Amino acid sequence: MNTTIEALPAVQRRDWKEFASAFLIRHIMVVVMLLIVAFFAYRSARFATPDNLTNILIAAAPFALIALGQTLVILTGGIDLSVGSVMAASAMAAAWTAKNAGDNAMLPLVAAVITGLLAGSINGLIVSKFEVPPFITTLGMLTLASGIAYVIGNGAPINGLPASFGSFANTQILGLTLPVILMILAILVLAFVMKRTNYGLRVYAIGGNRLAAEIAGVRSRNILFSVYAISGVLAGLSGLMLASRVITGAPNLGQGYELDAIAAVVIGGASLMGGRGTIWGTAIGLLLIQTINNGLDLLLVPAYWQNVIKGVIIVAAVGVDVWAARRGSR
Amino acid sequence: MSTVQTDDRTTVVPMLECSGITMSFGGIPVLKGITFTLEPGTVTALAGENGAGKSTLMKIASGQYRPDNGQVQVRGQHLPSGSAQAAYSLGVAIVPQELASIPEMMVYENLFIGRELKNGFGILDRGAMIKAAKGYLEEFGLETDPKTPMKALPVGVRQIIEIIKATHRGARVLLLDEPTSAIAEREVARLAGIVRTLRDQGVAILFTTHKMEEIRAMADRVVVLRDGKLVTDTPLGEITDDGIVTAMIGRELDQLFPDRPDAGASTVLEVDNLVIAPGADPISFTVRSGEILGLAGLVGAGRTELIECIYGIRKPLSGTVRVSGSTLKPGAPLSSIARNLAIVPEDRKGAGAVLSMSVLDNATLPRIAAFSKFGILSRRKRQGTIGTVMKLMRLKSNGLDQHLENLSGGNQQKVVFGRWLTGQVDALLLDEPTRGVDVGARSEIYRIITELSSAGMAVVMASSDMPEILSLSHRAFVMRELGVVGELTRAQLDSPTVQDTIFRLASGQNTAPVKDTTS
Repeated sequence: MNTTIEALPAVQRRDWKEFASAFLIRHIMVVVMLLIVAFFAYRSARFATPDNLTNILIAAAPFALIALGQTLVILTGGIDLSVGSVMAASAMAAAWTAKNAGDNAMLPLVAAVITGLLAGSINGLIVSKFEVPPFITTLGMLTLASGIAYVIGNGAPINGLPASFGSFANTQILGLTLPVILMILAILVLAFVMKRTNYGLRVYAIGGNRLAAEIAGVRSRNILFSVYAISGVLAGLSGLMLASRVITGAPNLGQGYELDAIAAVVIGGASLMGGRGTIWGTAIGLLLIQTINNGLDLLLVPAYWQNVIKGVIIVAAVGVDVWAARRGSR
Repeated sequence: MSTVQTDDRTTVVPMLECSGITMSFGGIPVLKGITFTLEPGTVTALAGENGAGKSTLMKIASGQYRPDNGQVQVRGQHLPSGSAQAAYSLGVAIVPQELASIPEMMVYENLFIGRELKNGFGILDRGAMIKAAKGYLEEFGLETDPKTPMKALPVGVRQIIEIIKATHRGARVLLLDEPTSAIAEREVARLAGIVRTLRDQGVAILFTTHKMEEIRAMADRVVVLRDGKLVTDTPLGEITDDGIVTAMIGRELDQLFPDRPDAGASTVLEVDNLVIAPGADPISFTVRSGEILGLAGLVGAGRTELIECIYGIRKPLSGTVRVSGSTLKPGAPLSSIARNLAIVPEDRKGAGAVLSMSVLDNATLPRIAAFSKFGILSRRKRQGTIGTVMKLMRLKSNGLDQHLENLSGGNQQKVVFGRWLTGQVDALLLDEPTRGVDVGARSEIYRIITELSSAGMAVVMASSDMPEILSLSHRAFVMRELGVVGELTRAQLDSPTVQDTIFRLASGQNTAPVKDTTS
């Protein structure tokens, strides 16, 4: 309270016990994660194998992209409920393109990205320009994009796609599939952007206090628009990943993904009020959810029970985080 | 928990007793062993600069925080630490700085929330509640209709209703956190009256403040905190104003207002026929380099609107603003910043600072381009420049990475102020620059304002604090109903009757002959 800008005097050095407890409280989610990993490793011989860890990463990848986009949106104090259906619409657009454009791997990618960008931009425009609450805007888009997905396939999945359509999900580089690489890249790039660039600082600023940010010269509408557009593009890529894995475009793909994405962001410590949260937190959150999914599968827990257990763990994890934040702040 | 109200006036047991309270946040001690008692039927002022630990102590006394050491006793009963509910049932009520009323509900609903009156069928008895509420309000001299929505009332009245709510539920210890920070001057007198009424009913009252007039108007005893220590605890009759100030800041405050340097000659800020609201008269004036223009007026007179229109937070209906010859784009803060215009807004928490961000990030925002290359921030550049400025501002923080929400009001204001000084500023707009700022930080802010103006900045300063206007400005406007109704020269500001003149202009009883600028 009384110290000036210079570093704290050495007298204030705390003993190691206090330091350790403060460290644990700050990184409580990592601790929770390790406990869950330890539990599964103990109960299932297959859990802690390299193959299985790769499986977790592969399952995490499509989900990671939308969770990252969601993080940006939530940091501004908004929410994007439409990502699941935007995934479906993008996947269908990509599949339709693949079916009609012949054996070309690039065109479906372009189609997916454009579909995602379009949906995200419409969200962004309505939220930033017309100031419709994000919850309502993206709820509308959720229904709209889902409708489009069915319209594209005439209500049915698009099958019989050329083999090149599968290259997006199944190409391997250095033993990692393309989606996993894309996930790692996206995490690294966004972590850097949010921490070290003007753009990142502005996103935090308008989420923390939009008026104050505007007075300090931030064009909040542009920033708001951009986070929804980014979320849309990432949802487009994510949809393509899922469709490419099974070489089919299914109009119900991605359904409910938005809720898992929001859960990952919140487990990662972000505030739904905006201004608080990190990319690393989201990365931990989504790995936590994927680890639980995978572990429960290995333990042969019936699917319906898996949902029950997952729900409990999500609420408990956030509860622990809130408790730790309260302990840490006093 | 049974209450023993009948004993209160005869017993010698203190109402509230804090002993050896210590508390630290993140390793930094905030309270270093505080011991004091509150007797029934007394009003105690808890004075101290921002950051002295007043609010923390209030939160401990009301059971919201658990102290590291020491304990709180209420009428001889131990207050279980960290339990606001227990404190409440022991009869301790706190009226926080940010009022906890529910704006969408009506006055009587707010008064009875949580202990609603019901009829024999368990259905809400609104009639009885309205009648009882009316009685409570009248007891405290309020003529407000109990069916008024809370949000329609001025903050001062809402605060009194919160006090009534707390006391009619049997609170015998009333803690008021900065009760006057958000209310108008004439409402302070009414608050003081209510505090006295409650005192006479045997309630023990503790309120925090850093304003001398309020200590004199309301308290019979003053307790001063400085850097987490209790430095003075004395009946008000036995200490002078200077004594209290010295206790608060730990040194003698020889001069609150620095000398006013002469203004320069060149015109910096030009406001031309600015219409700030529909139906308002156009406003035109110029401010020279080194000149401080004061804006006086009552709440709602349009001072904030004028400042916001100049800066571009609000779009004027017509008119232009020029800084150093170049015209600003209306309603575009970014263009104002580019032309070296800076603002310190009135509402620090709402418009000035992003509390969830660090000192460094807050100070980076307005001149973000200067701290980055290709959109990537340079930590070294930021730390160098911002560290220097914040040292100049004498910011007290735990490093540049400390979040603003953990700083005191005065230090937050220094950040909101200092963030502009990382680059050139030609004209500076200040709206209530010392609101919620304690006396020590206040004199530093005055020093900074005069230093900046003497370095050639043109300053426009809106303030409700009369000494501030009278001592700092080279010239002052009085505003009423969204227009400028009078201009006072330096000579007029020095006249002994100036306060009367300003008040008459501001309230529309314009009888004194004063030069009119709106023609």
